[in-house]
Amino acid sequence: MEGLMIPYTAERRPDTGVSNGTLGIWLFLASEAMLFGALFSAYALLRTSATNWPVSGRAILGTGNVISMTLALFLLTTLVRRAARAASKGRQLQLLLSAGLALCFLGFKALEYYTKSAQGLLPSSSMFLALFYTLTAFHAAHVLGGLVANLWAARGVWTLDEAVTLGRIKALTLYWMFVDLVWIAILVAFYAL
Amino acid sequence: MRVFSTDHKVIGLQYAFTSLAFLLIGFLFILAIRWHLAWPTDALPVVGKLLGETRTVEGILLPEFYLQLGAMHGTLMVFLAIVPLGVGAFGNYLIPLMIGAPDMAFPRLNALSYWLYLAGGLVMMVGFFLPGGAAQSGWTSYPPLADIASMGQTAWLGGLFLLATSSMVGSVNTIVTIVQLRTPGMTFMRMPFFIWAQLVTAFLLLLAFPPLQAAAVLQVMDRVAGTSFFLPTGLVVSEQVLKNVGGGSPILWQHLFWFLGHPEVYVLILPAFGIVSEVIRNITRKPLWGYRAMVGSAVFIGFMSFIVWAHHMFLTGMGPTMGAFFQVTTMIISVPSVIIVTALLLSLYGGSIRFTVPGLFALAFLPMFGLGGLTGLPLGLAATDIPLHDTYYVIGHFHYLVAPGTLFALFAGIYYWFPRVTGRRMNDLLGQLHFWGSLIAMNGIFFPMFLQGLAGMNRRLYDGGRSYQLFDSFGGSFTGQAWSAVLLGVVQIFFIVNLFMSLRRGKTAGGNPWQSDSLEWKAS
Repeated sequence: MEGLMIPYTAERRPDTGVSNGTLGIWLFLASEAMLFGALFSAYALLRTSATNWPVSGRAILGTGNVISMTLALFLLTTLVRRAARAASKGRQLQLLLSAGLALCFLGFKALEYYTKSAQGLLPSSSMFLALFYTLTAFHAAHVLGGLVANLWAARGVWTLDEAVTLGRIKALTLYWMFVDLVWIAILVAFYAL
Repeated sequence: MRVFSTDHKVIGLQYAFTSLAFLLIGFLFILAIRWHLAWPTDALPVVGKLLGETRTVEGILLPEFYLQLGAMHGTLMVFLAIVPLGVGAFGNYLIPLMIGAPDMAFPRLNALSYWLYLAGGLVMMVGFFLPGGAAQSGWTSYPPLADIASMGQTAWLGGLFLLATSSMVGSVNTIVTIVQLRTPGMTFMRMPFFIWAQLVTAFLLLLAFPPLQAAAVLQVMDRVAGTSFFLPTGLVVSEQVLKNVGGGSPILWQHLFWFLGHPEVYVLILPAFGIVSEVIRNITRKPLWGYRAMVGSAVFIGFMSFIVWAHHMFLTGMGPTMGAFFQVTTMIISVPSVIIVTALLLSLYGGSIRFTVPGLFALAFLPMFGLGGLTGLPLGLAATDIPLHDTYYVIGHFHYLVAPGTLFALFAGIYYWFPRVTGRRMNDLLGQLHFWGSLIAMNGIFFPMFLQGLAGMNRRLYDGGRSYQLFDSFGGSFTGQAWSAVLLGVVQIFFIVNLFMSLRRGKTAGGNPWQSDSLEWKAS
């Protein structure tokens, strides 16, 4: 059925007011919200019933890496957002740059996991660390997914219709904003509270 | 026909044949169990000696293997057979045809969802070849047992993760297709009820599966990385205190599991309602009675199904306040189901009913589903659930919903749309034999379960309760159930022969053999 055109892939359907991609990404994010909602519910339940929870998460985790990671994440989201407004050459550059920043984020994350586990701070050491590793790994997997999607969208800049690329960038922007939101929740849950 | 096709019809058929294969495997598992329960000290005929020493002794099932068969029967039937058949196969094949769309909205994601489903199923099945065998902690995989079970449980969790991803991709696709690709003029309230049922189902899968996916990863962490999400402090296993840090909660798993598990019940039943409504509309030769009420009920079921999950957990000591809340929501959610069944029943009134094979399956669905639904009410109330919990009564209840309920609807759908797919009809006599045989056999298997359960028989007893004097009089019921299961197996041969024979030799059907007025018969 390659020959048949699927309607509303890039343009809006008049009566629903959205394109397929826009509706799709919102539904996907709803599903993702349930995923992280469940993880943070587990966090809340296990933390409230925990007998030994560290007084300060920051004291265990340190704050050096986390500032770099936060900056990388927020900067890359801004770049993806701006890619929609740039001319097509700059658009590709910005998508690739933001993919590079995602790679930096993952690098920092890997380094953090490595140094922590070298100090003997493992998922099996305490409930706090178990939750920390699991939730941040879930988040990092989403950064990796976004990285791949960025590269995929960058590849399409030259070959595809502009409307399709713009739709993808719009979806990517929403996705990265969601990833940022989860990151903020992680900061609050493990560093602030 | 390409293997890696993005055509919704090809993917629909891939889903159909894969899920039917899993359905057969799941049935063979339980056939072995039924035989064992009837004659626990006799060798399993034919296959008993072939299964190897890790699974049987002199052809008799070992307790470990008995548990694997039970756990994998439930898993296969729910996750790999009934849901993919109702949603993946019927949904994929029929939704675009019924709403006048060229294909699903995201054809490549559609293919991805099928291949993830197949991979998930195979990963789960690989467990049988790992040391210690497949998952054996029930289809619900409750910790702490599941946390410390053999490697097959990790395979189960990995497979579940893939299945959840598959269903997320598939449900996004279904919702976008239905909302965006309806042909001009087909407003929401003009969509066939089948489409509404698929739409609500897709929302349930989209929002209810992720929590279980998260839980699966947490359980993998417990098993592989040594965390204690579901392990309490000081757990004693085989007279040894576990060395984990503890502080976890087994109840957390139950919450996350049933948050999917209960909407999953409606994921099973809603597509069945959809199929039965189409078949009944066809055999009565008139519109459905109460279409708007049915649509409203389906949507209401969708919302309510997210706030009833803890009625599976009355025994965890949740306390009267929580218990009261979940009892009330459970009683409320039974109302829209009753409305849908009543509307279907009233749709028969005044119709000139044609007793075709799909029609028979659809008609039998109504009382069978009714029996399953009504026997569920005592389980939704804590006071009566507590003695009935984990007895055969529960098994009887949900098998009436899923086997002569949902599965009958799916058979109706297969007989009904077979000519649409192949241009040929299935054989009528073989279909009649399949129907009557299945109806008798299923009641023969499931009805005694109510009596066994009311007597207090636990669902997991390896010897069928023979070590308890209380159950002395129940030996005969197990024998009857075993022969009913054999009969059920025999009549399925009629179905399998019919399916494959009719592909090539069936009577040619013409474009519209049932004289239907709905869109899928008009589209090319």
